[in-house]
This record gives sequence, structure tokens and C-alpha cells, in this order.
Amino acid sequence: MNPEKGQPDASLDRALREWRPSVSLAPRFNERVWQRIVRQEAEIPAALWLRCAQWLNGVFARPSLAVTYVSTLLLAGLLAGYWHARHDNTQASEELSARYVRLMDPYQMPRH
Amino acid sequence: MKRLCVTLVSGLVLAVAAYCGFYYCGTAQSRDLVRNERPELGWLKQEFHLGDAEFARIADMHKAYLAGCAERCRLIDEKNERLRELLSATNTITPEIDRALSEAALLRAECQKKMLQHFYEVSRTMPPEQGQRYLAWVQDQTIVSDSHQAMHH
Repeated sequence: MNPEKGQPDASLDRALREWRPSVSLAPRFNERVWQRIVRQEAEIPAALWLRCAQWLNGVFARPSLAVTYVSTLLLAGLLAGYWHARHDNTQASEELSARYVRLMDPYQMPRH
Repeated sequence: MKRLCVTLVSGLVLAVAAYCGFYYCGTAQSRDLVRNERPELGWLKQEFHLGDAEFARIADMHKAYLAGCAERCRLIDEKNERLRELLSATNTITPEIDRALSEAALLRAECQKKMLQHFYEVSRTMPPEQGQRYLAWVQDQTIVSDSHQAMHH
């Protein structure tokens, strides 16, 4: 392209058309390119995991946050245990009260 | 990194231990009740806060009531069987069906009377406030709800 006139530069155009690269590709070039792509893709999650671990390591390096984490999990465990026990106790109580009623009332009593 | 692992794992272990411990302790009473020889009576004792002496008297009443109840159950089964035979033989209300229905109704009234009598005796054995609560609950579950329930046998 001639910058002054905005016309194609004929000599450059001709040189480009005639140019043939004389360097040949290294053996198994394609295969190695694909191997590098695969390797880099596999490294991305590992790096992410590593970054997370490093971040957590930094967070838990502060004792107050580590204690908060452990306390929160402890409290969650206690609450879950309490809630589950309460639920099961209510269920057992309802079942036993129903059994009492079935024993008392001949018209609700199961026959053998 | 090692400290991170220790913190993460100890948090999880503590949470699981807290859950199991709280659940195990919280359901100990229910488990004892269910393992009891007469779990229904165990439930009654727990629910209506009965003392040992009151519970012993109620357990005796319960035993005596169930003995009489067995006989009434046998009569109910007989009446039901008779009624079933009569109903399967016709598609109109015959005098026999009419009589069988009346007898079944009389038997039902008799059963309810005995049941109510037992409930009154049990409630009188309980502390007054618990007795009132028991009576209201048990009547609601049996006598009052009977009219809306299909017979189970």
C-alpha cells in the first residue's frame, strides 16, 4: 500500500506473492502443540485450587478467624443434632400416643 | 498448608461429633420408651408427668380394662361377621339386618361407656390438672372422633 496515494504497492505485492517459506516444521510439530494445549488446560483448575488453598491459609493464619470457623461448625452440628432429635422425639411421641388410643378403643384396635 | 488442613478437618470433626452427641443424648428418653415392655404406658407416664405410685395404679387399671376389652372385641367381631353375611345375601334392609344394626349400635354404645368409665378412673388417679388434660385429649381421640371414623375391622 502506498501511503501517499492509497494505491497498492506493486513491488511489495509481487514480492509477497512470490515468497515461499524455506523453513520446514520440526518433527511432530502438530502433536507437540496439542500436548502443550492439553497441559495448560489441565493446569488451570490446579492453579485455582492452589489459589483457594493459599487464600484459606492466609485467612486461617489469623487465630480469630480459625476459631470463628470451628465455632460456627460446632454450633451448626449442635443445632442440627438438637433439631433432628426434637423431630424424632415428636414422631415417637405421636406414634406412641396413637398406639395408646388404638389399645383403648375397640373400634380402632387392630384385629389379629 | 498443614495448619490449614488441621483447622478444616477439626472443624468438620467437631461438627459431626456435636451433631451425634446432641442427637444421641436428645433421643435417649424416646429410645428407652420404645424399648419398654409397654411403650404406650411409658408414654402416658412421661406425657402426663405421673409419679411411680400413680403409674402403678394406672397400669393395673389398664390391665383390667384390656382384659374386659378383649371380650368386647370378640363380640364386635361376631356382630360384624353376622352383619357382613346378612348384607351379602340381600340388597334391601330386612328385619334381620335392622336387628343386627341395632345390636351393633348397642354394643358400640356399651364399649364406649366402658371406655369412658376407664378414662374417668384413670384421670382421677392423675394429678387434677393432668387428669383434665388427659380426659380432654383421650375423649377427643376416641369418643368424639369415633363418629367420623370408619370402623377399622
